Amino acid sequence: MKDKLKECIEWLRGKGVTYADCRYIRKENEAIRVSDSVVDSLSRNIDVGVGMRVLADGCWGFAATAILTPAELMKTANQALQVAKASAVTKHDPVVLAEQEPFVDFYQSPCVRDPFAVPTEEKIGLLIKVTDVLKKAKKIKSAEAAMNFFKTSKLFLSTEGADIEQEIIESGAGYHAVAFDGKEAQTRSYPNSHGGDCATRGWEFVEEMQLLNHAERVREEAVALLQAAPCPDEVTTIIICGPQMALQVHESCGHPIELDRVLGTEISLAGGSFLSLDKLGKLKYGSDIVNINADATIPGGLGSFGYDDEGVKAQRTPIVERGLFVGYLTGRDTAPVIKQRSNGTMRADGWNRIPIIRMTNVNLEPGEWTLGNLIADTERGIFMDLNKSWSIDDKRLNFQFGVECAWEIKNGKLGQMYKNAVYTGITPEFWNSCDAICNRDHWQVWGVANCGKGEPMQTMHVAHGAAPTRFRNVKVGVSK
Amino acid sequence: MIGKEKLLKKLDSVLAHSTADQTEIVYIGDEFGLTRFANSFIHQNVYENNCRILFRTVLGKRVGVASTNSLIDADLRQTLDNSIEIARSRAENPKFPGLPKAGKYKQLATFDKATARCTPMLRAKTVQKVIAEATKQGFTMAGAYSTSSGEIAIVNSRGVRAYQPVTAASINMVTMSETSSGYASAVSRRISDIDFKALAKIAVDKCKLSRNPQALEPGEYEVILEPAAVAEVIEWLNYTGFGSKSFQQGTSFLASRIGRKITSEKITIYDNALDSKAIAFPFDFEGVPKKKVMLIDKGVAKSVVYDSIAAIKGKTKSTGHALPATESAEGALGLNIVVAPGKTPRAKMISGVKRGILVTRFHYINGLIDTRNSVLTGMTRDGTFLIENGEIKYGIKNLRFTDSMMRAFKSTVAISKESQLIAAWWSSVGCVSVPTIHLGSFKFSGKTDF
Repeated sequence: MKDKLKECIEWLRGKGVTYADCRYIRKENEAIRVSDSVVDSLSRNIDVGVGMRVLADGCWGFAATAILTPAELMKTANQALQVAKASAVTKHDPVVLAEQEPFVDFYQSPCVRDPFAVPTEEKIGLLIKVTDVLKKAKKIKSAEAAMNFFKTSKLFLSTEGADIEQEIIESGAGYHAVAFDGKEAQTRSYPNSHGGDCATRGWEFVEEMQLLNHAERVREEAVALLQAAPCPDEVTTIIICGPQMALQVHESCGHPIELDRVLGTEISLAGGSFLSLDKLGKLKYGSDIVNINADATIPGGLGSFGYDDEGVKAQRTPIVERGLFVGYLTGRDTAPVIKQRSNGTMRADGWNRIPIIRMTNVNLEPGEWTLGNLIADTERGIFMDLNKSWSIDDKRLNFQFGVECAWEIKNGKLGQMYKNAVYTGITPEFWNSCDAICNRDHWQVWGVANCGKGEPMQTMHVAHGAAPTRFRNVKVGVSK
Repeated sequence: MIGKEKLLKKLDSVLAHSTADQTEIVYIGDEFGLTRFANSFIHQNVYENNCRILFRTVLGKRVGVASTNSLIDADLRQTLDNSIEIARSRAENPKFPGLPKAGKYKQLATFDKATARCTPMLRAKTVQKVIAEATKQGFTMAGAYSTSSGEIAIVNSRGVRAYQPVTAASINMVTMSETSSGYASAVSRRISDIDFKALAKIAVDKCKLSRNPQALEPGEYEVILEPAAVAEVIEWLNYTGFGSKSFQQGTSFLASRIGRKITSEKITIYDNALDSKAIAFPFDFEGVPKKKVMLIDKGVAKSVVYDSIAAIKGKTKSTGHALPATESAEGALGLNIVVAPGKTPRAKMISGVKRGILVTRFHYINGLIDTRNSVLTGMTRDGTFLIENGEIKYGIKNLRFTDSMMRAFKSTVAISKESQLIAAWWSSVGCVSVPTIHLGSFKFSGKTDF
C-alpha cells in the first residue's frame, strides 16, 4: 500500500500542488451487547480505505475511496485535486500551513493483552454474569452490558516527506440497569453512563474495571431512585463526581478552545466559541485553583496517540493556568492565525473524513482534597453522580447537565438520594466558583467515545482527566 | 453505482456460498460530496466513494453479524465466514424469530440523474451564489451543501431480494452579522426542488431582523416553533419515545399510555416512508416492506415502530423499521416521522400571538433528563424574536428551554397547513416532515449573553 500511495503523492507533486497527504486506515471493531442475559448483538466489522488531502490554488480538496486498486487510487488523487480547484471559486486568502518537520516513525499504543485474542466466550460470559446480577430485582425492567474493541492501523504520507505508521488498540466496557414501576423509569450505570469507559489499552483495562463487583450496588440504586425525592430547586453548593466533571470539562472547556470554532468555521453546525482571540492570555476563565491542559501523551488515554492526522507529534499544551485562559487547540492551517505552530490536535474519525481540530485528553489537574474531607467540609449542598443529559449553547456559555443520581449533603455527610437532578450555569461564572478539587488518588482519565463535530459528522474518541470538584452558588433543579 | 442486476448477482453469488441455516446480506453504497463554507468562502470540500456490506447468519437460534467495506470476492467470503464463526461462538437467542420472508415493495421514484451527476464545481458555483446574497447585505454566510447517489440492496436465503437506488441533496445555511444570525435549510431527492436563492433570502432576512438583540427574561411564553425547531424536538421524541426499545424498556413517554390522550387533539404524529414527496424508501434493513405507523393520533398515544425481533416481544408484526444489523441492539426506529399539518396558513401564525417568542431553530437539545415525561432542554439559535400583538417586534438574545413536550403539546393553539422537509443524519433513507406549531405555553428556564 505504501508504494501505491507514494506514487499518488509523487503524481500530485508533479501537478504542482502546494501540499498533499495520504492516509491509509484499516479499522477492525468488535462490539458485544448483552441484554437481560441474552447476547443481543455481536458483530465484527472491518473498514479499510484511503483519504487524500490536497492544497492547491490556495484551497483544500479531499477525496476518499474504499477501492484500493492503483487505478482507483490515482483517480482519487485527481478527484482531490479537482475538489481543491472547485473550492477556489470562492477563495479569499490562501490557506497557510504552519511549519512542521516531516517525521518518519512508528507508534504503538500500550497493550498488555490484545482484546481481539481474548476468546469471545470469555467476554460474553462476563457480560451475562453482570446482567444476571442486575436483573435480580423485580423492578429492574432491563439490564444491558456491552464491550467495544477497536484495532486501528494507520499510514500517513505527505509531500513534505512524512512517513508515519501507527497501531492503536482501544478497549471499552460498561453497563446499566433500568428500573420501572409502571409510572416512571430510572437508570443507573457503571463505570460511567452512555456506554461506560474506554481507553487506548488492551483487555487489562476491562479487567481493572471489576465490572461484576459493582453490579449489585447499581441494581439497588436504580430501584431506590424510583422512590427518591426530586432534586430541590435552589442555588447551592455542589460536588460533581469525576466522570461528570469529565463531561463538564468536555463541553465547557474542551469545545470552546477549538481554534476552528473560534475562527467561525464550525458555526453552521456545532457553533462558535465565547473564547474569542482577544481573550487569550487575558480572560480569568476560572478560579486560581483551576488548571487545565490538553495532553495527548498520557499513556492509555482515549485521546492519546503518537501523531495527529497531519503528522504532528502528540504533545501537552497548557489551556488554563491558575484560572487564566492561555491556550487553544490548533492545527497547521489555523495555528498561523495566532502566530504559533500546530499543537497536534487534527484528527479524522476514519480514512473517509478530513482531519479537523479535536480534543485530545483535556484534563482538569488534580487538587489537594480527599473526597471524604471535601464532603465533610461542605455544610450544605448536593453531590452529583454520573451524567444523564447534557446541553450547552452554540458559544459554550449557558450549559445544563442532568445526572443519574444525586445525594443531599448536610452537615458534612451524604444524606438522602435525589432523582432527576440537574444543574445549570454560565461557563466562566461557574468555573470561577470552583473552590476545591480532589487529589490525584481520586483523579482518573475518562474516555468519551461519542464526541460529534463536523459535516459530514465525525465521531471522535477523546478523554478527560478529572477528580470530584466543588462549586459554590450553583442553580440546581430546573427539570420540572 | 453498480446497478441492480450486477449488484444482486454479486450478492446472490456470495449468498450461495453460505453454510449457515439462514443468511442475509445488506449492501449500502454511496458516492457523497459535501461543500462546506464559512466566513463566505469554501473551507472544506470533500468527496467519498464507500460502501458497507453487512452479513447476518443464523445457526438455529444463534446469530452472527460481520461487516466489511470491500467488494472483493475473497473479502466478502471471509466476512461471511466470520459471521458464521461469530454465530457459532454465542449462545442461542430464544427470542430470535428467524430472518424475514420476501415481501412486496411499493414502487418509489427515489433517484434523480441530475442530482447524481452533480460535481464539486457545480456545488461550488451554487455556494458562490448563496454567499453573494449575504455579501449584498454586508453579512457573511456559512453552511454545507451535499449531494449523494447510492444504492441499497438486501438479499436473504428466505427469498428477500430488494434493491433501491437513491439520491439526496441537502443544504443548510447560517447568515452572520456582528450581533445576529439567520438560518435556512432544505433537503430533497432532487436538486431541482431546492430554491437556493429563496433559502438564502430567508437566512439573510432573519439575520437582518435579529440584529442587536435585546435580553428577555426566561419564563413561560407563547411560542411559534418554525419547522427546523419542531424537527429537532421531534427527532429527540423519536429517539426516546417512538422506537420499540424505549417502549419495551418502559423509558418511552408512550409506555403504559397507549390509548390515553397525552397531547392536544391538534397533534398527530406518524411515520410514513412511502410518501414520494418526502425522502421515501420502500423497505427496512431486513428487507421488510415499510408500513405507515400512527404514533399519536389526535392527541392519543397509539403505537411505536417495530423490527422483526422487537415484534416478537411485542406480540405484533414488524412495521418495517429495522436498522442495519450492526445497530440492531438499538431496536427499531422511525426514519420518516411526520407531524401532520394543520389548517392555519403559515403567514397567519404570528398574527395569533399576543405576546410570545418565535423560534427559528434549536441547538443541542437533549431529551434524556426525564424521558417518561418527555422533558427536553435546549437553546434557541439563529433567529429568535419577540412577538407582540401579532407582529415581530425585535430579535432577542438566545434562551434555554426546559419543558415536558407532552405538557407543551397540550397547549397547542394552531398548526400550519404548510410542511417542510428537514434533513436528518439518515437522509439517504428518510427525513422529518414538520409544520410550524403555535404553542400556548412553553417554558424557558435560562438565558445566555448573545
